[in-house]
Amino acid sequence: MTLPLYVPGTTRLHRAPAGLKLGLLCGAGIALVLTRESLVLAGAALAGALLLRAAGAPRESLRPRLAGLAGVLAAVGLATGLLDGWDAALAACLRVLALALPALAVTLTTRASDLLDAMERALRPLERLGLVQAGRVSLAVALVLRFVPEIAGEARAIREAQAARGVRAGPVGLVVPLIVRTLARADAVAEAIDARGYPPDGEPSRPAPAAARPRPETPPRTPPEGGSPA
Amino acid sequence: MAIVFDRVRASRHGRPVLHETALTLRERRIGVVGPNGSGKSSLARLINGLLLPDAGSVRVDGLDTRADARAVRRRVGFVFQNPADQIVFPVVSEDIGFGLRNLGLARGEIAARSAAVLERFGLAHLAERPSHALSGGEKQMVALAAVLVTEPAIVVFDEPTTLLDLRHRNRVRAAIAGLAQTAIVVSHDLALLEGFERVLVMDAGRVVADDAAEPALRWYVDHLS
Repeated sequence: MTLPLYVPGTTRLHRAPAGLKLGLLCGAGIALVLTRESLVLAGAALAGALLLRAAGAPRESLRPRLAGLAGVLAAVGLATGLLDGWDAALAACLRVLALALPALAVTLTTRASDLLDAMERALRPLERLGLVQAGRVSLAVALVLRFVPEIAGEARAIREAQAARGVRAGPVGLVVPLIVRTLARADAVAEAIDARGYPPDGEPSRPAPAAARPRPETPPRTPPEGGSPA
Repeated sequence: MAIVFDRVRASRHGRPVLHETALTLRERRIGVVGPNGSGKSSLARLINGLLLPDAGSVRVDGLDTRADARAVRRRVGFVFQNPADQIVFPVVSEDIGFGLRNLGLARGEIAARSAAVLERFGLAHLAERPSHALSGGEKQMVALAAVLVTEPAIVVFDEPTTLLDLRHRNRVRAAIAGLAQTAIVVSHDLALLEGFERVLVMDAGRVVADDAAEPALRWYVDHLS
């Protein structure tokens, strides 16, 4: 089973306002990007780990996420180490850790709808300037949170289907059908969002095709309503 | 409440899916059957403006699906064949509230109406469940609840029982039977349409039979199965 992104609970982190959590996360992100001291980054990573612990998520729910993060750290560390040296690699890994752990804590303890409300409020000044459409940005984030686990499930299903047919496909053999399936699904999801009355104001999100004029040579048919079966 | 197809022609992905069709639908229970690719789903999509006609017009309660798209969608709810695509929020209760957010309701009212609709369909225990972790049957019931919470006058179902096991198929059947709203049900599940006031039989983009459920379904079985 794919794991949920939000885990219901009653911890202080759960009760904290979504806007405050997002604001602090953004502030911490900016500060961490500007810091190069490994000691400071290590302290921030430790603080992130304590925050994650405070989220109160069950261990079985955290383990696969942390395993995924370990993979990212290994890739970032190796690439930075080979290109920039191992001191820079240590700093880069600590920075990623210090960013990812609190972000995970926020995701685990905040409902998507609360995140959306907070984001919409934060983006409203930019919307007034005509720079973004706050509602669309926040819906996009909700869709990511909703469909990341589904796409992971799709990837597993593709791997199983390939294994059942005796195929041991490499990364390309997995990614190509996954992209095709995801794009096909995106159309269906967009249609469903339209059907549910989004966006609240204005026209439906997908543009309507222009009406073609009726061909004059086509005579009207007798409607079959009310009659017996043809 | 009347749905009027006035000499409608429609196409999808450049392929004609509905030849010139004129219909007036006033019944409370309307079924649509036909072979795969016969235009059933396109007919259903025309009713709430998900698909717009190439020619002619579709009117719901006097509102044109092209000119009055938003008003039409408030009146016409749509339940898709695959509910996993219809559920757009990570947690069930949030998804139920999505349609209400789009109506601009206050948070308190959204929460109250969401809780009430989940209770009505025996889904209250799923309120905090992650959407992707639901079974197929649970997803279909949640999708139905998410549509009904906005209180549309008409609900269109596009093959609502196709992906379901027998138990959940029966739950969906009972839910449709208990609706106060007009229900238009596209289905291959002929038992689901038994007793409907009107059933349209479609083939190759045309309504080829149109009658009460019993004679229309018999004609469909005799001629197109």
